[in-house]
Amino acid sequence: MARYGMVIDETKCVGCYACRVACQNQNHLRENEAYNYLEEREFGQFPHFNREFLPIQCQHCDNPPCVSVCPTGASHKRKDGVVLVNEKDCIGCKYCIAACPYNVRIIKQEGYIEKCRFCIDFVEEGGKPACVTTCMTGVRMFGDLDDPTSAIAQFIARNGHHLRVLKREMNTKPRILYRKA
Amino acid sequence: MQTKPLKISRRSFLQGSAVTAGALSMGLLDFQSWAKESAQTPVTRIPTICGGCGNRCAIFAFVKNGRIWKVEGNPEANGNQGVLCPKGHGYIHDLYNPNRIRSPLKRVNGSFQAISWEQAYKEIAQKINLILLDNGPESIFWVNYPQSNQAYALRLMHSMGSPHYFTHGSTCFTARNAAWNFTVGKLPSNDLANSRFIMIVGRNPAGGIDLAQVKDIVKAKEKGAKVVVVDPRHNETAILADEWLPVKPGTDLALLLAMINVMVEEKLYDKAFVANNTVGFAQLEDEIINYPPQWAEKICDIPAETIIRLTREMAHEKPHALIHRGYHGAIGAQYLNSFQTARALAIANALLGNINRKGGIYFPESAELGELQPAHPAPAGPAGPKADGTGIPGRYPLGSYGDGISHAIPELALRGVLKCGFVYHHNPLRTNPNPKRVIAGYKKLDLLVVIDPVLSETASIAHYVLPGTFYLEANEAVDTKHYGKRAQVTIPQKVVEPLFDSRSGFQIIVDLASNLGIGKYFNFTLDQANELRLKPLGVTLKDLKARGILPVGQTWKEGFGKLGTPSGKVELASSALENLGYPAIPRWEAPLVSPDDKDPHSFRLIHGKQAIHTHAMTANQPYLMAISRRYDMIRLLINRKRAEKIGLKDGDVAEIKSLVGEGKIRVKLTEGLHPSCVWLPSGYGIFSKYLTTAYDQGLSYNDFLPTLFDPTVGHAMSSEVIVQVKKA
Repeated sequence: MARYGMVIDETKCVGCYACRVACQNQNHLRENEAYNYLEEREFGQFPHFNREFLPIQCQHCDNPPCVSVCPTGASHKRKDGVVLVNEKDCIGCKYCIAACPYNVRIIKQEGYIEKCRFCIDFVEEGGKPACVTTCMTGVRMFGDLDDPTSAIAQFIARNGHHLRVLKREMNTKPRILYRKA
Repeated sequence: MQTKPLKISRRSFLQGSAVTAGALSMGLLDFQSWAKESAQTPVTRIPTICGGCGNRCAIFAFVKNGRIWKVEGNPEANGNQGVLCPKGHGYIHDLYNPNRIRSPLKRVNGSFQAISWEQAYKEIAQKINLILLDNGPESIFWVNYPQSNQAYALRLMHSMGSPHYFTHGSTCFTARNAAWNFTVGKLPSNDLANSRFIMIVGRNPAGGIDLAQVKDIVKAKEKGAKVVVVDPRHNETAILADEWLPVKPGTDLALLLAMINVMVEEKLYDKAFVANNTVGFAQLEDEIINYPPQWAEKICDIPAETIIRLTREMAHEKPHALIHRGYHGAIGAQYLNSFQTARALAIANALLGNINRKGGIYFPESAELGELQPAHPAPAGPAGPKADGTGIPGRYPLGSYGDGISHAIPELALRGVLKCGFVYHHNPLRTNPNPKRVIAGYKKLDLLVVIDPVLSETASIAHYVLPGTFYLEANEAVDTKHYGKRAQVTIPQKVVEPLFDSRSGFQIIVDLASNLGIGKYFNFTLDQANELRLKPLGVTLKDLKARGILPVGQTWKEGFGKLGTPSGKVELASSALENLGYPAIPRWEAPLVSPDDKDPHSFRLIHGKQAIHTHAMTANQPYLMAISRRYDMIRLLINRKRAEKIGLKDGDVAEIKSLVGEGKIRVKLTEGLHPSCVWLPSGYGIFSKYLTTAYDQGLSYNDFLPTLFDPTVGHAMSSEVIVQVKKA
């Protein structure tokens, strides 16, 4: 079975927000509901200046705190590595929102909690997540971490010393790896 | 629902909307139950063209249950190479925007009344016939933002005998195009993907989105290319760059002249190319000694050693090095010196020997559509020149006759030269400088007809508003925007049935012609016209409809042929310009106005695009405006130190004032902006009350711009404005 993961190249994001709207369309979200967000940072002083955008979404952790605090099992991790919320079982208690260190969960107008699903239904039909395919600079790479021939596995093999995870100290074991700026 | 913002009576509104009630309830009001049902619904995929900006990217539109679901980039397209920007995704939702108009509208005593198409056409035709009798055909104009029906709009004007077809060009790019024309005979493109050294001056493809250019820059970088961005603001493309040169706004010309100086003085230029393919090098050599890097440093704030170092690095990679051909910023339409800046930019490229070379500036393959004649004879065309003076010695000899000077329309209307206008896919009241004057001008017209799916600022003062279809609702004329290494032809196609009683742009043009008694020039269907125009390209309409985009013609080959200039070569010195009384070699020309160095409140106001908005067109789109709000993007950028000197903190409200306008807006403090200017994102400042999402959000730079015409090209000089910035 595949074990899905993602690499986000921090050096490439120019902050256009195409990933946000592509994701909203793919997942039938309203205009204020978004599964991903960007953090903008500025460095230096004029004229020696630079800035970067850091894309953040559900990290699909291997040790997901949202899953361990969920009283109903609505938040769950699948064998293929994808963390999902089963909306029928979600009682909207928001424990998962409090437990997630990445601030990536939203409360749907209907009352349940949602978040990035790695577009898994679409992926199972042979597609790729909408945030991956729309990006003009190719910020995101998605694929099977266990398949040594996959582009993402090869990228990880080549770029080990350039990679990091967000909030490593939380021991969440994110399956989104960031290529450092 | 709609009755409050729309000033039409309840009764007429119901009449106008009755036919569309079914579509309305399905498409507009019930997004969530549609979304829920849609999970298991079969999906239809239709290839078409995006309407989110002028790039007209090739897309696949996905439809579920009769409603548009999502769009994806077509991987075959030169212009977007399979990817799509936020506007492309977000603008599809405007199909269901409750602000859309549902039928033709007529202004009666200051408010709109819904009328039938037949009544609209009949009344418009009657009014035009009277205007023709009193004032002649040249008193009628058409203005549009580029779109695939423009050949038919031009034909309509020519059928009436009017020369007055305009685009938005004079507020956008006419100085750039004129300079490239005088230097190499036409506007070229950039072979970014194969370049080793890319310098981008006043252009931001990652913000004023050009998807293929950004993809190509990333490709070039992965192969080791160096990227340098020259912009007063650390723009979005600068995030990808190796170096950012924060040039003082309006002085890019000094930087480019100094780079030419270094290339000539240090003999870094491509000697064989210059000897064989250019004219005027001796004259250039004579004059360029006036512009050493030490001189430029004092003017443009880029250190002389940086200019020298980068020129050497760039020349080292020649001919696989280029300075981006440019767009609106710096060289397009912003400054008094934009034309000379564009000339210098073109000349610097030629010295690199990169003209029509791999990794350089190249002449892309572009599809040449066939003619409608002889099957459908063309009208004779207008007898006289355009009243705006484009192409006329003593007026705007370097102006583009084809584009016209559209921001002169209000002037020509106030003088009584223009009496009647059609505005299609365009909103000059919001996108032209100095709105008070633009409103006065357009209001002076005896007849203003606006074709638009919503009541834009311009539509809201029209005598008649014709609801054009939204781009996903109609088949339109075949299009050639996707030029490149191999030309492509595309077709905008109907993806869903029109929601309201709206008609396609093509259909409206044909209907107008037939009502005006010039139907003989439009005696063809859209399919017939498209077939005729595709004929010489060797592709069929059927294939094009199935694929949405098709390659045509030969593949580009590098090499230098005869150019369209008088000498057939690259004109480093232009005798044509000299004959018109202008310098043959670009000379330093200061900007028209400059901020007062001694006044801490004095700034140049510059502007640029955010990736999420196109002109004034997308601000009313809730998905895109949600981003503006969530990320607090409706702010004026100001250099941190300058802001602190006048007591402004991040997030404070500032008051901006120019000769012609004033407004209040919150500020964002940044180290990424030249201290002499403030920067306003374009696309905001919507003042049509009918656009309920965008109304009264932020400001537009046009609010502050005086009405200016560059004395030779006629462009709007839209960064030649000084503002006073104070804490409100």
